[in-house]
Amino acid sequence: MTGLFRLNDSEIQAVNLSIEVAVYCTLISIPLALVTGSIMARHNFIGKSLIDSIIHLPLVMPPVTTGYLLLLLLGSKSHIGSWLFTTFGIKLAFQFQAAVIASIVVSFPLIVRSVRTAMEMVDTGLEEASRILGAGKVKTFLRITVPLALPGVFSGAILAFARSLGEFGATITFAGNIAGETQTLPLAIFSYMQVPGKDEATFKLVLISVLISFIAMALSEWCIKRMKHDRR
Amino acid sequence: MTDVDILLPRKNFDVQIKESFSEGITGIFGPNGSGKTSLLHCISGLARPAKGKISIEGNVVFVADKGIHVPVEKRSIGYVFQEGRLFPHMNVEKNLLYGVKKHVISKITFDEVVELLNLRHLLKSKPAQISGGERQRTALGRSLLSTPNILLLDEPFSAVDTHLRSQIIPFIIRIQQKVKIPILVVSHDLPDLLKLTNTLFLIRDGQCIGHGEYYNLLKNRDVSELFGDCTLVNTLDMEVKQNTEQNGLTLLEYKKGEKTVLVKCEKSKENYEVGSRIKIFIHADDIALSGEFINGISIQNQLQGEVTDLIERGSTLLCVADVGFRLVVEITAESQKRLKISKGSTIWCLFKSVAIDVVG
Repeated sequence: MTGLFRLNDSEIQAVNLSIEVAVYCTLISIPLALVTGSIMARHNFIGKSLIDSIIHLPLVMPPVTTGYLLLLLLGSKSHIGSWLFTTFGIKLAFQFQAAVIASIVVSFPLIVRSVRTAMEMVDTGLEEASRILGAGKVKTFLRITVPLALPGVFSGAILAFARSLGEFGATITFAGNIAGETQTLPLAIFSYMQVPGKDEATFKLVLISVLISFIAMALSEWCIKRMKHDRR
Repeated sequence: MTDVDILLPRKNFDVQIKESFSEGITGIFGPNGSGKTSLLHCISGLARPAKGKISIEGNVVFVADKGIHVPVEKRSIGYVFQEGRLFPHMNVEKNLLYGVKKHVISKITFDEVVELLNLRHLLKSKPAQISGGERQRTALGRSLLSTPNILLLDEPFSAVDTHLRSQIIPFIIRIQQKVKIPILVVSHDLPDLLKLTNTLFLIRDGQCIGHGEYYNLLKNRDVSELFGDCTLVNTLDMEVKQNTEQNGLTLLEYKKGEKTVLVKCEKSKENYEVGSRIKIFIHADDIALSGEFINGISIQNQLQGEVTDLIERGSTLLCVADVGFRLVVEITAESQKRLKISKGSTIWCLFKSVAIDVVG
């Protein structure tokens, strides 16, 4: 039983990598979702429903498909991929960055939905009041709209974080399953399952996975409670 | 001077207004849905008229032909909304400071606003924790601190309980005396407006049907129709002459040129300093007329004057009397016949000292 809590290097790497990918994914998603969410909530333009559909596509597509499309779009053989490599020397596919990109694409619809709904709930009258008081659009957005939509932004971020922790299909297709590079917790569990006699190690990772999810949930619950308390 | 010349098409009618608003308080009165708020929206930039031009205190903010439409945040406007629109996530202090401009010298400081509007004890409270009247005061203060060139108040009384409404009025008057910018107040409640100002702008179906001093507007048939059966109020500026401790009366003095008129009113809770200026309100139907001076009557005020106008108003008559200042008195047609009142007759206006409302 004591062996259950002793992790070898590759296991620690998988745990660290998972959290790192999820944190990067969440931190990058938040500003993108704020901008996208506010545009979707406050503006009407031609092609709005098309953009909405594209954002939501990864939610309904099999993640493997998403990963494959990412590979087509950003892989070294694609236009963008080869351009990035020749001009900046950047390689995306089968790298750590690829795992982050895959996570972002897959979790983006969840956070955008959450942010958009929260922003639609913000009284536009308060934004008008802010403008009349001399605040420009950006200041109004940062000091009125975002703070008032914060609970929604926060729960969206939690969703994105959780989705990223669980990401499997898009990651394995676009980023591969390279230990220490792109092998996140779910990929490690999958790999262990393929090897006979690794039952205990598999179970250990599963347990860790449950634990991380549990802590994340508890943390978010606590934050939301605090936020609600502050409002009063 | 603020000049407005606009055409704003709306569903059922066009709002078409060409007016100038000068310093002081202008009361904008009209029925619901007559275009009052649309006018404020056009001035503030929240709405864009189809035609015309607008300039606020000399700054051109809108010219349709030249495509000039200065954005809302650059118009230096104070706007107090019906519901106050305080930011719920900030306390009163942060709300007040929100519009403060760092590089502009304000006509009024933060501390002055807090004192003027009696907000000191509320600074750390959230908007949800304070009353409707306190929220409106905070909204007023917040607008003032954004160094506006004009103050627009949209139904500032309606979110406040009826019996507390009169409490917001002295604050608006104090603001005007302190910062001396034009204030446009929209309301569909005539008595409330008349307590603030005698200068009215009357609007119906998007058109101006009268703009000027209330006593002069009364003669207009359209206007008396618009006023319907609203209670009319006489508002007067008075100077406190003497506090009589024994009988609990305050002697007020009205001075215009050489003529002075003395009015006795019930001493209010506040002790007015001798020499201070206060506003008093007398409802038109609280005044009685008499053909002669009456001895042996409990009524404290009997002012002699001359009838300058008689205006029909449904079953009653409005009698405008000059007793040194103008008073509107509402009487029945029967009384008019009995007392043989006509233009030019000499009459006495009688009102009890308790019928006078006072605002500092």
